[in-house]
Amino acid sequence: MIFVTVGSMMAFDRLILSMDKWALEHADSDVLAQIGGGNYRPSHMRWTRMLPPSKFQEAVRNAAVMVAHAGMGSYFIAAEMRKPIVMLPRLAANREHTTDHQVHTIKWLRDRPGVYAAMSDDELEPAITRAMTGGSVASAEFARFAPEPLLRRVRQFLID
Amino acid sequence: MRRLQPAFDGLDVVFASVHSAYAEQVPGHRFYAVRDVTRWDRIGLAILVAQLTFILMRERPRVVVTTGSAPGMIALALAKCLLRSRTMWIDSVANCEEMSLSGKRARRFCDVWLTQWPHLRRTSGPDYWGAVL
Repeated sequence: MIFVTVGSMMAFDRLILSMDKWALEHADSDVLAQIGGGNYRPSHMRWTRMLPPSKFQEAVRNAAVMVAHAGMGSYFIAAEMRKPIVMLPRLAANREHTTDHQVHTIKWLRDRPGVYAAMSDDELEPAITRAMTGGSVASAEFARFAPEPLLRRVRQFLID
Repeated sequence: MRRLQPAFDGLDVVFASVHSAYAEQVPGHRFYAVRDVTRWDRIGLAILVAQLTFILMRERPRVVVTTGSAPGMIALALAKCLLRSRTMWIDSVANCEEMSLSGKRARRFCDVWLTQWPHLRRTSGPDYWGAVL
């Protein structure tokens, strides 16, 4: 199964439209998409607006590959569940986000194991192919919580 | 925020999120859902301010911590102005080239103003204490 997600905040129809096309061209693949507040309703893949966290985790667990916007939440869950993740950044110019920080995010995440960057819609298809054959999953030894020194300093501030 | 959870162990913590479904991730804690807004949405903003004011006056937090974005910034500002709470902004690790817009605006309401990127640290702020990954 391929799990597609635009995260939990805003619509990202460009990703959903591209993935609906991908699903049409790969009719033997099972694709589930969380489309958020998007206007485009997919017709070639299963979709839902927003999954609660437990269902979301289940969808990631069942997925062979995750396809997502370049949001940190999506990366964290792929890394925790040890899945390969294809990421397409939202662009401010398209009003897909308020700034281009997802472009910045993908530039440093793309060198991490299991992260497959698609900088444009055209790069989605090859990135998915690489993710499915690459065998690499997002950080194999990914810790669930932030590093101890940061946790200690934050806690110190909380209890002071 | 989930990745900072051990720092909150044993403390009396109230969570607020723009997604009511996230309540299931913090069992045993009081939880409030608030309106999500961006800077494009003026009506939403008014609703959010009312919701946050209600929550703050009811809970009277000693400390407020947020990782953003716009709703977190507004919560921080209200907590500082209404209650003189101690406030901490942790800019998202996603912002690796500059502080977020909300982060820049949050600055004057913060006791601790953090970036998660060492190269963005400045002596005049933001400070850098590490990153969540």
